[in-house]
Amino acid sequence: MRVERLDEPVRVRADFAGGRATPVVFQRGTQSQRITRVNSRWEDRVGRQPLYYFACSVESGDVYELCLNAHELTWRLTSVMLDG
Amino acid sequence: MAEPLATIATPRVQPTAADLPVLHLDIDAFFASVEQARDPRLRGRPVLVGNGVIASCSYEARRFGLKAGTPLSEARRICPDAVILDGHAPTYRAFGERIFALAAQLTPHLDTYLDEAYGDLAGTERLHGDPLARCAALRAAIAEATGGVTVTIGLGPNRMLAKLVGKTAKPDGLAWITAAEADGFLAGRPASDIAGVGPAIAQRLAGMNVHTVTDLRRLDVATLAGLFGAVGPMLYERARGRDTRAVCTREVPQTISRETAFHRASADPAEIEGMLHYLAERACRATRALGLTARTIGLRLRYADGVSEEGRHTPAVPSALDPDVHAVVRALLSKLWTRRVQLSHVGVVLSNFAALDGAPLDLFDGAGQDRAHRLVEGLDAVRDRYGHAVVVSGRSLSLLGTLPQDRYGFVLRTPSLTK
Repeated sequence: MRVERLDEPVRVRADFAGGRATPVVFQRGTQSQRITRVNSRWEDRVGRQPLYYFACSVESGDVYELCLNAHELTWRLTSVMLDG
Repeated sequence: MAEPLATIATPRVQPTAADLPVLHLDIDAFFASVEQARDPRLRGRPVLVGNGVIASCSYEARRFGLKAGTPLSEARRICPDAVILDGHAPTYRAFGERIFALAAQLTPHLDTYLDEAYGDLAGTERLHGDPLARCAALRAAIAEATGGVTVTIGLGPNRMLAKLVGKTAKPDGLAWITAAEADGFLAGRPASDIAGVGPAIAQRLAGMNVHTVTDLRRLDVATLAGLFGAVGPMLYERARGRDTRAVCTREVPQTISRETAFHRASADPAEIEGMLHYLAERACRATRALGLTARTIGLRLRYADGVSEEGRHTPAVPSALDPDVHAVVRALLSKLWTRRVQLSHVGVVLSNFAALDGAPLDLFDGAGQDRAHRLVEGLDAVRDRYGHAVVVSGRSLSLLGTLPQDRYGFVLRTPSLTK
């Protein structure tokens, strides 16, 4: 297992049902990744900007970490944990 | 529900809330548990978090005899299948805050540390009812909120017993003990289990053939006072299950430290001073955010061969201003770094705090201090809004390009969490 730290903007389709965000699909480059499970979610803050993190498993089994900046309403891909 | 305590004969009398006024909550294998919650593929596998040495290891790794502080090179040899991760301090801090926020719903006073907390439940029985049921619900709520991070809770009449009884139920457990059961519970335990018995005292006790709490109880209070000074009477009381330390939310921390190891040991003065300035800056900002100023400024350093040095200085005027603290840190560095050996770890430690408002001012450099105050106030305002990483001070420029950065600042190799 190895973790690659990233910090790249990413397009995310999310479900906001119940007043909380849940990412469903994200697009990295030309490839769409369907999220099979949100394993864990947590909140943090940088300055006054609230950040919502999601550790998400995709169909390949890899785990991607997505971050929603609720102040700017932007999503970033912050890390990926790969097998091997 | 509460798990039976093996050392106490059953059936046990169900305790009332008044019997269990202190809660001790311990996050099981904190960093490793967070990693296992984030990635289900890690569950059931030995997981090590650390850089150079193990900072945290999962219970699966502990079965191989691994523990915090073991060098990773040795850990790889003992457990080749272990998953080794660098870890990410801001993530662990966020998980810790979430867990302690949930625990704070049970008690008005929560004394938190890195991966554990004490809560004062006295007077909450009418509000929360059965403490065992409430704690079971808290454990479930924490696991739900974090995606599977488990905690162990101990309930007892005081801090020491709550923590000790919790240890009997780790991991992912709940245990309790009443004052009436304390005598039997403590009797056969090692003397080092008593709060306040550190390695030095344990060694002296072992030299006198005192190994268990029962052995310790044979020494009267005058003998213990003669041997250990002020600590002696405290040991006498605690060996009998009595611990009078209050549980209260700490408004003023004992120390605020910022430390890290270098990615590669360094003897480059620019890199070392740049890192120390960055650490001093972060420690000062945390101190100012609490409305405090530091009377004592300390420096910790470790050489590449493992030798450590620590020094501290108490200037005439307390300060939480970056330039003042950095000047003291630089002076301490030139005093402590005397060997021609590279440094592998540095840290800035502020302590002995005073309120920022009432702190004495420097009578002879009022204008200079005023300018410095206005500068850090301006920087704090910008960083409070956009994050610390938005401004890099000139003295830390040497770190640019050598250390990766994220939105939290420079990504340090082994950042310390606030202690």
